[in-house]
Amino acid sequence: MRRSRGMKLLATVGVAIVALGTAACGGKGNSNSGSGTDSGSKKTVKVGLAYDIGGRGDKSFNDAAAAGLEKARSELNIQTRELEANKDETENDKLARLKLLCEGGYNPVIAVGFAYAGDKDTGPIASAAKACPDTKFAIVDDASVSAPNLANLVFAEEQGSFLVGAAAALKSKSGNVGFIGGCQVDLIKKFEAGYEAGAKAVKADIKVQAKYLSTIADKCSGFNDPAKGQTTAEGMYDQGADVVYQAAGGSGTGVFKAAKGKGKLAIGVDSDQYNTVTPDLKDVIMTSMLKRVDTAVYDFVKGMGEGKFTAGKTVFDLKVEGVGYSTSGGQVDDVKAKLDDFRKQIIDGKITVPEKPAAG
Amino acid sequence: MSTVLASAPAAPVAPPPRDRRFSLPILLLVIAGGLVALAAVRAITGANDLTSHGAVRAALQSAVPIGLAGLGGLWAERAGVVNIGLEGQMIFGTWFGAWAGFHWGPWAGVLAAVAGGALGGLLHALATVTFGVDHIISGVAITILAGGATRYLSQLAFQGLPGGGVTQSPPVPELPRLSVPGASVLDRVERAHWFLASDLAGILRGALTDVSTLTIVAALLVPLTFWVLWRTAFGLRLRSVGENPHAAESLGVNVYRYKYYGVVISGALAGLGGAFLSMVASSIYRESQTGGRGYIGLAAMIFGNWRPGGLASGALLFGYTDALQLRGGSQSVHALLLFLAFVLAAVGLWQVLRGRRTVGAVAIGAAVLVGLWYATTDAIPAEFVQAAPHITTLVVLALASQRLRMPAADGQRYRRGG
Repeated sequence: MRRSRGMKLLATVGVAIVALGTAACGGKGNSNSGSGTDSGSKKTVKVGLAYDIGGRGDKSFNDAAAAGLEKARSELNIQTRELEANKDETENDKLARLKLLCEGGYNPVIAVGFAYAGDKDTGPIASAAKACPDTKFAIVDDASVSAPNLANLVFAEEQGSFLVGAAAALKSKSGNVGFIGGCQVDLIKKFEAGYEAGAKAVKADIKVQAKYLSTIADKCSGFNDPAKGQTTAEGMYDQGADVVYQAAGGSGTGVFKAAKGKGKLAIGVDSDQYNTVTPDLKDVIMTSMLKRVDTAVYDFVKGMGEGKFTAGKTVFDLKVEGVGYSTSGGQVDDVKAKLDDFRKQIIDGKITVPEKPAAG
Repeated sequence: MSTVLASAPAAPVAPPPRDRRFSLPILLLVIAGGLVALAAVRAITGANDLTSHGAVRAALQSAVPIGLAGLGGLWAERAGVVNIGLEGQMIFGTWFGAWAGFHWGPWAGVLAAVAGGALGGLLHALATVTFGVDHIISGVAITILAGGATRYLSQLAFQGLPGGGVTQSPPVPELPRLSVPGASVLDRVERAHWFLASDLAGILRGALTDVSTLTIVAALLVPLTFWVLWRTAFGLRLRSVGENPHAAESLGVNVYRYKYYGVVISGALAGLGGAFLSMVASSIYRESQTGGRGYIGLAAMIFGNWRPGGLASGALLFGYTDALQLRGGSQSVHALLLFLAFVLAAVGLWQVLRGRRTVGAVAIGAAVLVGLWYATTDAIPAEFVQAAPHITTLVVLALASQRLRMPAADGQRYRRGG
């Protein structure tokens, strides 16, 4: 008897845990209709957006996507539904989320982040595109999956990183700069490659220290570990670097803190981090490499409203201002002319920026 | 009873053979030898980061959360409960620390983190002690629960605050940091790069200046734990519950209650480790920032043979190699190879002197191989560098701790009167 009562209690606790977990991670429906039904002439577009791990409020990648959608909602006649991802979720969870959107009548459906790609034939986005052939899909940050109803929105991160690399070299007094990546994957290696190339274009003998905080083997935990970011950056500053560029997501605040403590400079990533960090850290952020996920999402939704859809890869590069660098804080104003010259050379094709770091 | 009395009149003086521990002079000798070897390696390789104050400071920073989680594991396992939910209790600690720290100041954050961790411990105790749930299952469930619950709580508490969101907290105020006066002398000595003197100066400077108060608290908790568990009646009862609960009960110890004490204190310590992560090491809460440190703490405890001093050295060793790989990367870890060769050779010689020729020969052979590896390469692959802390800990575990003994009734379900 005692035992069975114990089991019953255990079962109750178990159910409670599962229920709480689901509640905690559940999606947040948001079915605002934009300007209402006053126009009536254009048909209403229902946009579904699936976030990457981190979700809204990450002050970076996901928030940029949200901002793009927000802009579209304020200007166009659309309805939206946004769903958040859970950490440690499986690919089936991602597929279920995409199918929930497309089967609920949302068209287009936008998947934010390469995590939705997975295997190019059986991964979440590929399967969802097959399951809902009449829905148009878009995936941000992945070009490996292709389907007739899928648009791949990718960025030339190496071009933006080239410019901040050049800025770092122009600003560095010690001839020694650093790069910190959150996870050792091809996507983040593009940042390193461009940064290194940019720095060397200014000063051929510059020393570029590079370090990744994690690998796929430890689930890219380095995007969420500010303590590691800080330790690594402090090490780089101790070894002579005076500018460190971070492409490490949530670990970036640790890098900024290290820069503050050592009285050195750092470079932000994805959004203009000068505007998102706390006031006491603003003066260490020399510039940020901008990756306009908001532009990509907005352009895509706008195009859909006008009935335009292009399957396959769309690259947002310097030419279309899909990437760039920020000038908030005014610390790069004195080298802006040189940076814009590099920018022009890249757009004109005089400089080709590598996508893979020299050291592999 | 009578046989024991008859056979061992002189036994109390001699230490029991299974508890073979180093005496203090030998321990100091080993530490001094290690320092000289490290200084020599630094002088030979020029990898100055090996004993720089920055590396030592980073090592402490990295070791404290692991050590606190390990201490937490020790308290639970000494009471006979395996607490694999340390990771989850640590997550509670990071969240509650940041939350209360943001609203009511850093010390309130520390208290809230301890309370949050203790709450996780209480849940584990309820499941394992009262309901007799398998310890591993309950622990894993608590870790999963912690991830979901903190996400939910963040949505309620952090969303809308400046800098906050579902996955992170607003910036948290820092705890005060202390320095021993007169460190500028150490700075000059360290910069001179003299053999041994500069190394000592670097280590002292790293350990004595700009130290967070929470680091000091953590350091004090190690001897305190030893004193409570091995020198008080409370500790004896708690350990007896982990060794032989039936015997303890027959002597009038309330087994359930002592198990509760152990597991709740365990959760509280893990929570304190979480507070260190979100309030000292990074001054922000970030979802999944614990990154498996709770599990590494558990490993440090096993490394330390379920003893506070051992687990502290395990945490420091892991923290040190982790700091080196994060800071210097390839160069420092490459230099560590030479150090490893020295250590292996010393262990080998020691074993040969003690008459264990095979083990000694294997160790010396490994030393030669590692030495060759050092001599023939200039750098270590990045993937290997990242795994260096784990590999080092494994190697030391394999060499030094061949006689691990966990509490006899550890991990077993105990039913009153059963």
